[in-house]
Amino acid sequence: MTKPDSDDFAMEPSDGAVLLKRAGLGIGGGIALIFIAGMIAGYTSGALERGGPDLVDGAILAGMVLLAALVAFGIWRFWPQTVEEPVAPRVRSARRLFAVAIAIGLPLGFLLGVTDEGTGVLLSNAPVSAGIAATAIVLWLIAGPLITWLWWQKIDEHEAGAYREGALVAAHAYIFVTPIWWMASRAGWLPPQEPMLVLLAVTVLWSVVWFVRRYF
Amino acid sequence: MRDWSQAELAGRLDVSRQAVNAIETGKHDPSLPLAFRIARLFEMPIEEIFDDEA
Repeated sequence: MTKPDSDDFAMEPSDGAVLLKRAGLGIGGGIALIFIAGMIAGYTSGALERGGPDLVDGAILAGMVLLAALVAFGIWRFWPQTVEEPVAPRVRSARRLFAVAIAIGLPLGFLLGVTDEGTGVLLSNAPVSAGIAATAIVLWLIAGPLITWLWWQKIDEHEAGAYREGALVAAHAYIFVTPIWWMASRAGWLPPQEPMLVLLAVTVLWSVVWFVRRYF
Repeated sequence: MRDWSQAELAGRLDVSRQAVNAIETGKHDPSLPLAFRIARLFEMPIEEIFDDEA
């Protein structure tokens, strides 16, 4: 139907592989750089407490800086490049809405994280202030459904199919996982059920199915 | 049939490039409205573009 695109060739990676490689390099490389920066800061602070960096300290610090440079070079060198291509208006709108959802979700997640009384537990059940709770509930009640509905209007039928298939798998996972955990908990084999943990697992599963169907 | 890339065809059909790729590789069966849009764009009957072979 069309002339060959980059991903028509068997040797070329799929869109999904490119996205996964970028995520791996970005997250893994980012964590490595932050870790090395922490090492440099920690070692410098220790050296200053010992009366200032000497030649050995300088060599070690230079090695750490070189390591950071190597990691940064590796990220740049192995970052998958793709050709700039035209994007359909519908796709552009859907991407914009996705960006809005991220722009709302990230600060909310950060806010919940920093106000979480230091429990250190993912999806904690610790008490929160009324202001935080009201903000989160309003966002989930109004912004969440509204953005999701607008996004649903914009995506094409292929993505809608991927989303529906993910929803179907997630719904089945939910109706099987929930009673199993409930029963196992009553038998004393598992701790009491954590609804938010089930929600997280189901959402991750939904996203994985959507991603695979859409990009592979 | 036309010297369009997947991205160019996707733009003309107002779908994503992944959708065009999935249709071409047989991973996605287009809906009737989309199939008609494709046929109109290529000025060909639907059955000349799509066949029912699995």
